Amino acid sequence: MTRYVLRRVIQVPFLLLGILVFTFFLIHLAPGDPINALAGEYGNAAYFAEMRARYGLDRPIAEQLFIYLKNLARGDLGTAYTYGQPVTRVILERMPTTLLLMGTSFILATSVGITLGFSAGRRPDSLVDHSVSILALLGYALPVFWLAQVMLYFLALKLGWFPIQGLTSAREQYTGLRLFLDVGHHLLLPAAALAIQQIALVTRLTRTGMLETLASPYVLAARARGLGSRRVDVRHALRNALLPVVTVVGGRIGFLFSGAVLTESVFAWPGLGRLLLEATLARDYPILMGMFLLISLAVILANLITDLVYAILDPRIIYT
Amino acid sequence: MKQIRSLSRLMQQGILWGLVILAAAACSSPVSVEQVQQAATDVAPVVDAAATQIAETVEEVATEAAPLIEGAATEVSEAIENIAEPTAEPEEVMGEMEPVPGGTLVVAIGEDPGQFNPAITTSFGPHSVADSIFNGLVALDDNANPQPDLAERWTVSDDATTYTFHLVEGVTWHDGEPFTSEDVKFTFENILLKFHSRTKAGLETILEGIDTPDEHTVIFRFNAPYGPLLQRLDVTEAPILPRHIYEGIEDPSQTDANLKPVGTGPFKLDSHTAGAEVRLVRNENYFKKGLPYLDAVVFRVIPEAATQLLALEAGEVDYVWRVPGPDTARLQQATETAVIPVPAGPGGGFCIMTLTFNLDREVFQDLRVRQAFAHAIDRQQILDQVIFGQGKVAVAPISSRISWAHLADGPTYPYDPDTATALLDDANYPPGSGGTRFSVDFVHFPTFSKYGEVMREQLKKVGIDLELRPLERDAAIEAVFNQRDFDTNIISYCNNTDPDIGVRRMYVSTNIGPIPFSNGANYINPRIDELFADAASTGDTEERGALYREIQEILLEELPYWWLVETDFSVGVRANCHDFRAWSGQFAETAWCES
Amino acid sequence: MTDLLTEQPEVSLRKTWRPFRPRSGKPLSNLAGISSQPLASLGWILFTTSLLAALTAGLLAPADPWTSVSTPFQPPGAAHWFGTDDLGRDLFSGVLFGLRTSMLVGLTGTSISGLIGILIGATSGYFGGWLDDLLMRLTEFFQVIPRFFLALLAVALFKPGLVTITIVLGLTSWPMTARLLRAQILSLNEREFVLASRALGAGTAWIIRSHLLPNALPPVVVQLSLMIGQMMLIEASLSFLGLGDPNIISLGYLLRNAQPFLRLSWWMFLFPGLAIAQAVLAFNLMGDRLNDFLLRRYTR
Repeated sequence: MTRYVLRRVIQVPFLLLGILVFTFFLIHLAPGDPINALAGEYGNAAYFAEMRARYGLDRPIAEQLFIYLKNLARGDLGTAYTYGQPVTRVILERMPTTLLLMGTSFILATSVGITLGFSAGRRPDSLVDHSVSILALLGYALPVFWLAQVMLYFLALKLGWFPIQGLTSAREQYTGLRLFLDVGHHLLLPAAALAIQQIALVTRLTRTGMLETLASPYVLAARARGLGSRRVDVRHALRNALLPVVTVVGGRIGFLFSGAVLTESVFAWPGLGRLLLEATLARDYPILMGMFLLISLAVILANLITDLVYAILDPRIIYT
Repeated sequence: MKQIRSLSRLMQQGILWGLVILAAAACSSPVSVEQVQQAATDVAPVVDAAATQIAETVEEVATEAAPLIEGAATEVSEAIENIAEPTAEPEEVMGEMEPVPGGTLVVAIGEDPGQFNPAITTSFGPHSVADSIFNGLVALDDNANPQPDLAERWTVSDDATTYTFHLVEGVTWHDGEPFTSEDVKFTFENILLKFHSRTKAGLETILEGIDTPDEHTVIFRFNAPYGPLLQRLDVTEAPILPRHIYEGIEDPSQTDANLKPVGTGPFKLDSHTAGAEVRLVRNENYFKKGLPYLDAVVFRVIPEAATQLLALEAGEVDYVWRVPGPDTARLQQATETAVIPVPAGPGGGFCIMTLTFNLDREVFQDLRVRQAFAHAIDRQQILDQVIFGQGKVAVAPISSRISWAHLADGPTYPYDPDTATALLDDANYPPGSGGTRFSVDFVHFPTFSKYGEVMREQLKKVGIDLELRPLERDAAIEAVFNQRDFDTNIISYCNNTDPDIGVRRMYVSTNIGPIPFSNGANYINPRIDELFADAASTGDTEERGALYREIQEILLEELPYWWLVETDFSVGVRANCHDFRAWSGQFAETAWCES
Repeated sequence: MTDLLTEQPEVSLRKTWRPFRPRSGKPLSNLAGISSQPLASLGWILFTTSLLAALTAGLLAPADPWTSVSTPFQPPGAAHWFGTDDLGRDLFSGVLFGLRTSMLVGLTGTSISGLIGILIGATSGYFGGWLDDLLMRLTEFFQVIPRFFLALLAVALFKPGLVTITIVLGLTSWPMTARLLRAQILSLNEREFVLASRALGAGTAWIIRSHLLPNALPPVVVQLSLMIGQMMLIEASLSFLGLGDPNIISLGYLLRNAQPFLRLSWWMFLFPGLAIAQAVLAFNLMGDRLNDFLLRRYTR
């Protein structure tokens, strides 16, 4: 176990280095020039040359990469072109909002998904089961942004239950509890929109897992021993049914990020997803590199944690 | 079991179709199609948001702003008075109402400004916010006439080589320091002429020096007569920064001072949440007495245009910079919202959507092919269906807004596919299999795809296959101006206030090369070069106008480009807010809202 | 099995997508059996509808999807079932052709990804050793790179268009396939019939072709069938962000085109959205069915 974890941890820097080099070349070899976005359209040749030199873009790519990696080793991710600020600061500033959105959506997806999947899986072929199944199928098939806009139109504009955009109310400057409630109010719709696909997935996984474990000998044995049905379902069946849920949900952090790009766009949620999109369009190389680093790191860590959690949940697994 | 399964399947389908029908029934459209179509013809000048977003940044590349020999400044302002016909604006009617002080104005912006130093950049993002924090030496009214701002009056020498500005006394920066002529000199010499690409390109070579005889006088000396200076001094073009903050900062483009702006403007920065919002509050010590009326202006970052509009309609937002064409009708009909049409915005005005022919390509070296394009493209349809009537069909290379230079009665190429067909036959491009004569690509920003779609169908009728090549902005600039890897392309060229700034760049042979938004057609005509030079060094407006008309006669004969439509912008506001200076970057100085 | 679970979280998709097996009922024996039921399953209906619509778009569509045939913004009616768009183009035709394109993106992308995945998975699983190590590192690498962002980057920075989207999706989605196949082959490699063939002197290629692939492929096929829908959704998402292709009509293009007119003509937004939902649903349901059928045969 320790050896396995160690091996995986040692792999991380190499994997990251590979990804950095790959994206660095991809980004820098693309046609176009970040100075265009920076200069507006008014710069003359001298201005362009000056700006390129300022950002070190006039040097050979290999040298640029070397400089980047050297700075990275010191924890310096560079300065964002469009913001004129350290990339680390730009990214960290937006991190909490994205974590709030993704975290809420994650909790929503897992709790709702497991509840739905559990109730469906307990009574196969019942009305509940079929309604849940069809909803889960639909939730998994609808484009995130489409659903988000439908929700926005009906629930926010028509019914007025939720605000349209943003993290807080622009006209008020709440503090304390009021601020907390205000953010919560703004958070619900985007978190729900982002969660729908996850809910669908978790529901299906839980349901299938329930069906399989409910038919397994030890559950039948527990029943035979006279344990109450609900207790068996929860204590024995659900716990085992959750194993695949853990792996799949843990492996989907990347999906959650891409969903965040879309949701954040629709609801004007000021997070990292939007930052990535803006940086792409403006060719803000340092931000792009920083974001790729962050996302890759998150994915790698999520995978590792998933494996470990899995091992804890299922003692049969032995890592070599 | 089997029956149960079939039954459940039936139910599943029932649920599905039920959902479909519910959704269909629930989505009742708030405005009927007829209303919108009517409105599209009623509502005069405004443009689709996509087009304008690019348009407002596309402006002049005045790489060699040749000196204008103007007799005196009065002539300049005369000329400028002719530039724009005033547009009827809703708040003119409201103008009689007494402004109410107080309140918060919420403004939707598409991107985070990133930083608040408007002197180091020309991009729309920072200017849309920071222009309210700073001032220029002069302000421009909605006809681009100079008005006092930091300078209360000015004089221009008879040969237009020396400008003397007398500054308002008693102005203080937001931190309490006094504002002086040294701030002006410092800002120009150390920041604007180095970082503001437009001011750098326009003034760098001709500005001889800036003198400050006393604390409240600034003198600009030029090495040759220069007419359009006053148009270059408003807060968007030349915002004045505090010397005491920026002096000693090694790189003004990368400093934390840009995040803590200290200006003289009507509002000062209160807080900035990256990617979310910027909050400005009233400058209690603003040097214009009684202004501003608003207590606070909050800029909300809302990237999707559709969401911006929903927020405006729901009342979460009071001001939207650009409203897409089809929505103007609805906003105008609703009682809570209104639309302000403007021909210009901070960073660009009097724009013409222009199709560029790459004259390096053999097919476009034949004038008949270019004429065929002109005849084959139905610009009225573009006006109606792409920009929803917000603008007009272009009749000449210079905008009709610059009426003293605009050629209203030049050669025309009416929409006529038959003539186009004949011209193409004549040019020896017979239809091949499937009726296609030849295929050319069309490089464009993704926001301009709709123009391409409409033209593709129109050109198909005469046997020309137009292949759309959307490229993100930077990639498109690279392809068109650096690589010259394109057959045709579309760009919103903004004429701005003087043809020497916004028009000349597209046609003179000296402006061919890897410069964004330059002579992309690669059009070379010595006579045109000569005429533009003459027009720049002529003082008399009428004479200049005649020269520009001659230029347009030639261009309309030779068709290096095809001018499609003149576009206007429209600003969406809540109806209870009034007196915006919607054409300016400093739009909220005089604004107020009924509570 | 250990390896499968530890190294490859996604693998459990195979399990997770396995549909409900009635405890009392007998397993469904074959595909024909399903289709001969009086009311074919929802999946079959949707799948056949989508496929037929896509295949016969040219015949069914009343008009060219690019050509203006009527007044703009006509609500759905007898003349135009799904209404017309901002340029007066028939939306029903647009949806039919769009469905075809979107499905093509999904199918082509999945084929590319399947091909690479099978190649790498089979090589890695069969030969093992340093080659396996190398290929697995490569796989991990591509697994960690977020493919949506890679597609976003490629489309925004290089060349927008469906071809780019399809290729990028194909080139980045294969790791799951490769790892699944590798795990399958690893477990099969130890089975008696393979060992027997090897002992009898059968060639590598022959063993892979005759024993390993046929037995290892079913779960891969199921997994690939589920990938199709995901790719269709990614195409739509990229189009929504303004990075689509204006030369080929796809459902993503139609949804993007509807954006400025959300408040004005709901039909431009509703129908393409429903079309993509039902197509993705169809592929997912078919994945379930395939899973049911193939895996049952395989485990028997």
